[in-house]
Amino acid sequence: MKRKISVILSLLFLFILFWAQWNWKHLSSFPSIISSFYSKEYCSCYFVMQLSEDQCHDFARQWVPISEFKLDKENMSITVKGLGRTNTAKYLSKEYGCTLVTD
Amino acid sequence: MKQSFIFILLLLAFVHCGKDLSPFGGEPEVNALKTRLKPEWPSPNWKVVSPESVGVSSSKLGLVEEYAFTRTGDETDRKGRRTDALVILRNGKLIYEKYARNFSEDKVHLTWSVSKSILQTMYGIAVKEGLVKLDDPGYYHYEPLSRDEAHKKITIRHLLNMSSGLAGEEGYESGPLKSSVIAMLYTRGRKDMGAFCAGLPLRAEPGTQVYYSSCDTNILSAILKKVYGTEEYDKLPFEKIFKPLGITNVTFERDGSGTYVGSSYLYMTAKDLAKIGYLYLNDGIWNGERLLPEGWIQFTRTPAPGYKSTPYSEDLSQDNYTAHWYANTGVPERGIHEPWPDAPKDTFAGLGHWGQMLYVIPSLDLIIVRFGDDREKAFIKNDFLKLVKESVIR
Repeated sequence: MKRKISVILSLLFLFILFWAQWNWKHLSSFPSIISSFYSKEYCSCYFVMQLSEDQCHDFARQWVPISEFKLDKENMSITVKGLGRTNTAKYLSKEYGCTLVTD
Repeated sequence: MKQSFIFILLLLAFVHCGKDLSPFGGEPEVNALKTRLKPEWPSPNWKVVSPESVGVSSSKLGLVEEYAFTRTGDETDRKGRRTDALVILRNGKLIYEKYARNFSEDKVHLTWSVSKSILQTMYGIAVKEGLVKLDDPGYYHYEPLSRDEAHKKITIRHLLNMSSGLAGEEGYESGPLKSSVIAMLYTRGRKDMGAFCAGLPLRAEPGTQVYYSSCDTNILSAILKKVYGTEEYDKLPFEKIFKPLGITNVTFERDGSGTYVGSSYLYMTAKDLAKIGYLYLNDGIWNGERLLPEGWIQFTRTPAPGYKSTPYSEDLSQDNYTAHWYANTGVPERGIHEPWPDAPKDTFAGLGHWGQMLYVIPSLDLIIVRFGDDREKAFIKNDFLKLVKESVIR
């Protein structure tokens, strides 16, 4: 019985490994989505649409919570950390709004 | 056994032989717009009149307001109908205007994919100026589309008809892992969205299938940048669309390489977006001057030819895509009715994520702009349009 379980678990592990390798392109960039979405959409909500801080948090909030948030009013930028990745969006001008600036 | 199998095969072949495979049973019904006898150009802004003076019932408009502005779900969970702005115009005059959730007449709102319909306006201008032709292969102007012979077949018309054949995945919340629109906007593609999108493999022969993809739009945006050169391109929407229409309060965001995110990031006020609708209602003419080429609005209202060979799916009924706009034509031969059966058949629209809407109804001389933040499908477009239609008394 024990042997049967370990065979199943090994097969499952191999399957996950194979799936992860196959989808690596998507998986490796996925964690960045949370902080880049939050920083970019918050930046546009606050500096372009000129809504309140509370309303912009509500606008940019996702199912996965963020761990750090910084609104820099002087430099007109938003920095957010989520799923271990940090991203910054910056307000450029009235014409061109916000854009993600981190590499 | 073998004989009956061959017989059935032959029978099937005969049944399909000669059948009109056109999804519209011939040419779609798209009549030319009538010339307006007495246009009321909103310069600098819309003339405000009572609904009754232009044949609309105020009390029936009350039902439209009730539908649009009654919260139906939990606000903290972002559920239900969440309208931010509603503006209605008849005969070129403003008859209804209301804002909610801290929006006002001078605050711009994210239009999401309505941006695509204005990117299409930029193409109308480029075509009128003779800088591009609809059947130009994209790679004539934009090198990343020359990566192989298959990609070289993608034309500007294919891209405008959402029929490039490129394997974009347009899932947002539903499938974030493999969504190319999310990868384009926020991760792998954000520095240069056009180049990211041009690198996608092909899922179908260009021109043969309609598959809605933000990637098609951002390739179009990148093509325009090459056509005009950076300096001219930076000014293009502001100088050639917004300025003539008297639109000054507007933001158009760009990707990391300075290319307009034509798929998603245009911000406008509701009354200014209505001006784009009025330009299209008037066949591309503004204040007596032709801004868009002759036939452009006809092209805008004609369903993408690729529907003729697009495999059947449930989405077809909501998705009568034309040339970066939507039309209320339906796909009659496939038994698919118009997406908004209670609205006039000639209704056409620019539509965006989370409830952004610009409706143009030539037969009723109506323009409707609705902004919202709907996180679920609680705002039913057909129900809303039915109420607006019923408010017209003559």
